Amino acid sequence: MSAKVKTMDRKGASLQERLYLIEIFKGMATTFGHFFRNLLDNRKLYVRHYPEVQPEIPAGWRGRHRLTSHADGTVKCVACFMCQTNCPANCIMIKAGERQDGKTEKMPVKFTIDLLECIYCGYCVEACPLDAIRMDTGIFSVTGNNRESFILELPELLASPGAYSEEEYKKGGA
Amino acid sequence: MSPLDIFMLVARVAFAAFIPLCFIAVCVWMERRGAGYFQDRSGPNRANIFGFRAAGLVQNLADAAKLFFKEDVISDHIKHKFYFVLAPVIVFFTALVSFAVVPFADTLVLGGKSYIMQGIPLDLGILWFLSFVGFSVYGIILAGWSSTNKFGVLGALRSAAQVISYEIPMGLAIVSLLVVYGTVNLNEIAQFQGKLLFGFIPMWGAVLQPLGMVIFIIAAFAETNRTPFDLAEGESELVAGFHVEYSAMKFAIFFMGEYVAMFASSAMIVTLFFGGYQVPFLSTATLISQAKPLAFLLMIILPVVMHFFAGWIRRSNVSHYPRENDPRVFEATVYIKCFWGLVIILEVLLLAILFSASGGPTAHIFVVLLQVCTFLFKITMMIFVYIWVRWTLPRFRYDQLQKLGWQMLLPLALLNIFITSAFVVALS
Repeated sequence: MSAKVKTMDRKGASLQERLYLIEIFKGMATTFGHFFRNLLDNRKLYVRHYPEVQPEIPAGWRGRHRLTSHADGTVKCVACFMCQTNCPANCIMIKAGERQDGKTEKMPVKFTIDLLECIYCGYCVEACPLDAIRMDTGIFSVTGNNRESFILELPELLASPGAYSEEEYKKGGA
Repeated sequence: MSPLDIFMLVARVAFAAFIPLCFIAVCVWMERRGAGYFQDRSGPNRANIFGFRAAGLVQNLADAAKLFFKEDVISDHIKHKFYFVLAPVIVFFTALVSFAVVPFADTLVLGGKSYIMQGIPLDLGILWFLSFVGFSVYGIILAGWSSTNKFGVLGALRSAAQVISYEIPMGLAIVSLLVVYGTVNLNEIAQFQGKLLFGFIPMWGAVLQPLGMVIFIIAAFAETNRTPFDLAEGESELVAGFHVEYSAMKFAIFFMGEYVAMFASSAMIVTLFFGGYQVPFLSTATLISQAKPLAFLLMIILPVVMHFFAGWIRRSNVSHYPRENDPRVFEATVYIKCFWGLVIILEVLLLAILFSASGGPTAHIFVVLLQVCTFLFKITMMIFVYIWVRWTLPRFRYDQLQKLGWQMLLPLALLNIFITSAFVVALS
């Protein structure tokens, strides 16, 4: 079977196009149409008035991380190091310790995510066997005044709530 | 010299020196907001002083403040620091001086004395302009060379080659114009364009020399290094071309020089092809004799225009999202009140003309101011065309640029000279 060959017409050979000026004026008419429309009514600009109007973030969107917890408020993470091992950017640092509340044997004593290293690939979420780490906070803009503020520790990761309901999150994939 | 003579001298020199500088702000504002609107986005509209954004003009102040306080870096690898600093000065100075010969109103006659409305009263108007526009590229070449940077040198070389190619069609287009006008004095050229062809078409260069106009405008775009001929800068190929090593105020001088050059060449295009300071269909003599009806007409038109303008401000200057006690509505109200105040002042001045002696000095001054406004309006329109073209056309490739210059514009310009000369000889 021979490869499918599609011949494209090359434009620009006719006299009208070779004169160039006529085509330039056509292009200028198009751009002026846009200018004039926007000048008369600036509601028609294709612009989101950003800080005031926030974009809608779908549930499947990979935002800033959080650690989930059981219904009684204890951390789900068992410090299995799956996410840390999977992380291509080496931004997760876990320090495991013994768990005293009897739910499991291990728990993280320290769980640090360096957001300046993170590439938001979502591999940690996929690797987690216990659904303990999620990227469903809906936070897409992380800002700070110094580098230290970008290093998230366990309490912050546990404190941030998810932005979506359980059904929405399941439907959205992730 | 009487005090009036000295005042007129200072006034015309100040006009020629400061109006281009004032227009830098207007040009940058038009460029950025215009670019936004051409591309369906809004452009800079957030910078404000106490909530007053002046349609984005405040952004210019912010930019200027930033450029003033930035560190002025001269890198150690630059051997010729004097030339490095001199280059932006040349670009800016030549652009500013090239505007000085453009007449911005007809000769003012006050008390039997006539005052020329030109920064430098020079008979060789066009030649002065040509020489200084040609000289401005020296600044660019010097900048590129003294930067000791391959991108800078490439940009400078491109600019040099481009100017050689486009000076010739530009000069030839002017030759055919001079055949028509029969003078190099810009004031006489503008006066010539005040006449009417067949009694109803203004005898503008654009009507008499359409081909010359196209060639001149294309060459003028190339001379000012604007898109589609901004190969010297070519940010996607040469980073920033000739000004790649420049920072802070030295860069700002280049930037402002570009806009002053744009203003000066717009002024030249307007003077040569669009009637200069002439109000269409109304020559200076008619304007002076009909000053009172004209003032009356303006008194009626101004409030009507202002009414629609106020409506436009009210519609445009609001937040386009739900917002309690929208501060932009208050802002719009203040703008509208300011503009109405301006209109009232103008109305009072026009009323004074209505009650003054007809054909007297007030009528003469009124006509000069009217012509200055017409001239600045035409220049603004031409600057808009520059911006419009910039945001429509992509950049030429280097070989395409040379081909256009030598194989299209040069023969066309020569042909134009032949046709024009034949016409002039046949008609005279």
